[in-house]
Amino acid sequence: MMKAEKINPKDISRPSEQMVELDPADFMKLPYPYDKGEDEPAFKRLTEDQKKKYEASLDGVLAVSIPKPATKEEEDELVRKFLSGLEKLLTKENNWTFLQPLTLSLEYCAKCQTCNDACPIYVSSGKKDIYRPTYRSEALRMIANKYLKRGGKLFAKIAGNDIELNWTTVARLAELAYRCTLCRRCAQTCPIGVDNGLITHELRKIFSQEMGIAAAEIHTLGSVQHLKKGSSTGLMPVALKDTLEFLEDDIKERTGLSIKFPLDKEGADILLIHNAGEYLSWPENPMAFAIIFEAAGLNWTLSTDLVGYDAVNYGLWYDDVQFARVAVKHAQIAKKLGVKKIVIGECGHAHKAISVTADRIINEEINIPRESSMTLLEDLVCNGKLNLDPKKNDFPVTLHDPCNMVRLMGVVEPQRNIIRKICPQFREMEPHGVRNYCCGGGSGFAIMSSMNFPNWRSSISGRMKFKQILEAFQDVIDPGIKKMVCAPCSNCKGAIREIFNYYNAWEKCGISYTGLVEFIVNAMVDIKEPYIEWPEI
Amino acid sequence: MLLQLLSYLAVAVFVLGILTKVVKYLRMPIHVRWELYPIPHEKGREYGGSYFEELNWWEKPIEKSFIGQIKFMVPEILFVRGLYHDNRKLWWASFPFHFGMYLVIGWLALLLIGAILNIAGLSPESVPATFLQSLAVIFGAVGFVLGTAGCIGLLILRTFDGDLRAFAAPKDYFNLVFILAIFLTGLLAWSSSDPSFVIFRDYLEGVITFNPATIESPLALAHIILLSLFFMYLPFTHMTHFFAKYFMWDKVRWDDERNLRGSAIEAKVKQVLNYRQNWSAPHIKAGKTWAETATEEVE
Ligand code: SF4
Ligand code: SF4
Repeated sequence: MMKAEKINPKDISRPSEQMVELDPADFMKLPYPYDKGEDEPAFKRLTEDQKKKYEASLDGVLAVSIPKPATKEEEDELVRKFLSGLEKLLTKENNWTFLQPLTLSLEYCAKCQTCNDACPIYVSSGKKDIYRPTYRSEALRMIANKYLKRGGKLFAKIAGNDIELNWTTVARLAELAYRCTLCRRCAQTCPIGVDNGLITHELRKIFSQEMGIAAAEIHTLGSVQHLKKGSSTGLMPVALKDTLEFLEDDIKERTGLSIKFPLDKEGADILLIHNAGEYLSWPENPMAFAIIFEAAGLNWTLSTDLVGYDAVNYGLWYDDVQFARVAVKHAQIAKKLGVKKIVIGECGHAHKAISVTADRIINEEINIPRESSMTLLEDLVCNGKLNLDPKKNDFPVTLHDPCNMVRLMGVVEPQRNIIRKICPQFREMEPHGVRNYCCGGGSGFAIMSSMNFPNWRSSISGRMKFKQILEAFQDVIDPGIKKMVCAPCSNCKGAIREIFNYYNAWEKCGISYTGLVEFIVNAMVDIKEPYIEWPEI
Repeated sequence: MLLQLLSYLAVAVFVLGILTKVVKYLRMPIHVRWELYPIPHEKGREYGGSYFEELNWWEKPIEKSFIGQIKFMVPEILFVRGLYHDNRKLWWASFPFHFGMYLVIGWLALLLIGAILNIAGLSPESVPATFLQSLAVIFGAVGFVLGTAGCIGLLILRTFDGDLRAFAAPKDYFNLVFILAIFLTGLLAWSSSDPSFVIFRDYLEGVITFNPATIESPLALAHIILLSLFFMYLPFTHMTHFFAKYFMWDKVRWDDERNLRGSAIEAKVKQVLNYRQNWSAPHIKAGKTWAETATEEVE
């Protein structure tokens, strides 16, 4: 039973060039036609220059890319700040938002490691010790116990808290905080109720809220830009209006329908908010929403107010302050328009952000009801409010469950009922529903593209999803048979797009992806031309 | 007498220690929602759905299924079901360990009832008293055997399983050896000197009536001392998960209580939004309330 020595949590403090080496030969095997491993792209290594410049001693991957401090004093100052951030995390004034869940998760882990095998990243990596759900949590727990508790240092050895809090530890923890998608599959299997995803989330908050350190794509280019320019994509209101006009022309061209996007319509029933990434990367999605809502005769509107046309809320992944700012803006805009409800487009984390987590932020008069588009669409499709012909979707389809919408919010069946009704060749992935696997793009990964992080994302964090997709289509895996993955979430679509490109999934297997509303419009009897587009061969 | 004093002290420390922790968790402010599905009280949604699946959900009544929650909790608590499914290797040790513990708690309770009946004047030879005592023998003996086996199993796994060893601390071994010693002394005392557990029952009777009883058997004595010490130690360890799980599951994982207009939740949220945060990152102005922080214009 004795195996080779594992890397234990206190090893994180021991300076070395790199804690683990990532070699695709170790990664979890993929099914046919990738089973031979020949099509596994080589893992992109950092250049010597990058390694010299940035803190990359965790795994040779850079997501946060912290520049190496120039002096020992700088290092010490960062370590000090880290500890003060951790201390604040444990006070109600600074962290009422998560104090109780965090305290409980820090106090009760039995170190049984039951959660490990639930984690797609740990398993996909070929079980690298540092990617265990418990690894970063235990390191943080040890630091809190040793440095913040009375007698912590005295009993550190006996209590198992003899970790050294030095700059190496802090720098590695910063990267390690971005090797978990916050999918919380681990938490689901913990027999005690400990949530390692939550601990990752809180760790990210120390870096962001105290030290001003976060992945640039989610902070500077993400939530900061969102609040300042109106959208994390950089799309400003004027450009949005131009884009929408262009989309109206496109709808006309593709379907013959003359539709005008209703903008800032006061007193509408519904304020629909999309992830603004859709306008730029998948405009067919907001177009399809408009076609469906108009066909159903709904009284709806889009907003062109700053922030009001981008449903994302990146703060959910790393910063409670940024989170609260965006959530409040969304609610204020809905209040101003006097709508009955906010409906969230196909964006998983936006669903959870505004419906679940922000439920205890947007309070009193700005507490406008929020609803999932899945629920609303189910009503339209399944109660005969649209004229649909399922035969138009007669190709193999599988459904991806966005973690934020499903495991973390409980919207499970509406999207399935729609697909079951309009896609005759629908098949489930295994496992699915609340036991699903993350697309690998969760918690901001889908939009993070620093150095070799995209390689890590597609080959490790998205590997389990790719495996599931391939398995769902094994009986029709021939590239001549066109197949579609339905992913009702912008970030999931982004991550899946990258995995498919990385592994040439269209050329090798004939698999593509799209959102949910595209299937609905594709099935509409009154629209003659197919709405779903397949990649060029 | 010293022995009895130790037992009184044990009960006092145990109760105070647990209460302190309960109060600490209870006094924590409301937190944002962070639930995890499936939530067993969601009526008719065993697949893991929520009320968010309803059109205009805020207009619908809240339907909670108490039965669903019980159906989930009983096998989880009694048989450690989660571990059975997700970590079978560990379950083979953890289940006897926990079940043994429950039986020993049952054993203590039965002895306590026996002692009280005795004080109340019921003869130890009467049918109910003999029945209780026989039941106590079954609970105690089976509990000590299972507990001992479970403890040994857990010790072996902690020592030889690489994944467990990588995270093991001296304290973890200490805890297991401590509990093993309790089970083992109980088992040996029963098999060698107290087959009907009368010594223990009489000791408890002495504790209740403030009448020190002398314990002749060194094994029984060791068992009582260890058990008393354990009661004093437990509140300060992670073994309080037996009640902390209530907070972790009911107050976090399954907390899907909605913030409706005019609700108690709304009032609590209003209060916490007035806390002053003190974060230092450049995009946050320290010293402002959360309400101000969330609405201020940022550079
Ligand atoms: S988080 Fe839960 S499952 Fe994971 S090691 Fe800790 S107690 Fe076990
Ligand atoms: S939240 Fe998901 S990715 Fe993160 S440790 Fe848990 S299972 Fe792994």
